[in-house]
Amino acid sequence: MSQTSEKTKHEVDPRLLEILVCPVTRGPLVYDREAQELVSRKARLAYPIRDGVPVMLPEEARELTDAETG
Amino acid sequence: MSGPAPFDRSLLRLRRDRAAGRIDAHDFLIREAVKDSLDRAAFTTRSFDRALAIGGAGLTGEEMAAGPMADRIGWLAEMDLSPRMAMRTNSPAFAANEESLPLAEDSLDLVLAPLTLHWINDLPGALIQIRRALKPDGLFIGSMFAAGTLAELRECLTEAELEITGGAAARIAPFADVRDAGGLLQRAGFAMPVSDLDRRRVVYRDPARLFHDLRGMGETASLSDRAPALKRAVFARALALYAERYADEDGRLPATFVIANISGWAPAPDQPRPKAPGSAQKSLAEALGVKEESAGEAAQPGKPKP
Repeated sequence: MSQTSEKTKHEVDPRLLEILVCPVTRGPLVYDREAQELVSRKARLAYPIRDGVPVMLPEEARELTDAETG
Repeated sequence: MSGPAPFDRSLLRLRRDRAAGRIDAHDFLIREAVKDSLDRAAFTTRSFDRALAIGGAGLTGEEMAAGPMADRIGWLAEMDLSPRMAMRTNSPAFAANEESLPLAEDSLDLVLAPLTLHWINDLPGALIQIRRALKPDGLFIGSMFAAGTLAELRECLTEAELEITGGAAARIAPFADVRDAGGLLQRAGFAMPVSDLDRRRVVYRDPARLFHDLRGMGETASLSDRAPALKRAVFARALALYAERYADEDGRLPATFVIANISGWAPAPDQPRPKAPGSAQKSLAEALGVKEESAGEAAQPGKPKP
């Protein structure tokens, strides 16, 4: 195990991105590093990442605008 | 699932959020369940490339590092319904609902769910989701509080409430009767299902400590059908009954926790599997190298007994 350093704590582990899908549609997620969000286009939801921890709860997700999905 | 869901999942999340900051002082049962699930994984002698712990209060990473699975789990992530609880660990972590898991199919080699399963409304549904997230021949090990947990407290609360108010409400969550846990796993598509029960007695010098522990673990009842607040007199009477019936010589009170452990494998073509009933070519006596003896009269179908 080599994942305990403070530096990596706030970056999403890339292998997490490989196991996660959208809990609503079970479709793929796109990692938005800038916004720290995991985006499900199909569900029109952006799941927040807080301190490197993706919060995969639809009730905590931001709804995408038409501009974002278009 | 028929009927309304018994558990209030948002309330549970709130309770776990609140417990996250101070669970250290109350986590002994959870820590034991985490260690136990890792021991069970170790018992298989396998190595697991990718593992996920669902629940476990963020303790799985540190317990893994300290035990026999340290070099047999390649990568471990931890998940909790409560984002705050998920943030407690140093492992890669995420928050998600156990009832709608955000897991890609065939993505994991091992899923642990230590003391997590008892608050899930649709357990068969959750087990199916876990099985799908596992790669073929992947292993699932989970546990939950089961029927018999807090039996002393339940009995005393119900009796006290009946005595004083003439009615009684559910104060303690209904626990699954896990005699059919093996069947539950099988219906969810797991191969080689195994289940067993562990009975733990925790002794409390002060009954208030029991409630502190339950709250501290985020385990106070999260029921959809919330009962009105317990009257002080009822509570006092319940504690008096508890002491009267269960206290040991030193006045300490035991609390029973029954933990059901279940495990199973995601099916794979080259797994050992039981043969179809009736397909045996040899008798059991022959296989065991003993002489077959008649058990007495053979059953006679169609003939009613006198």
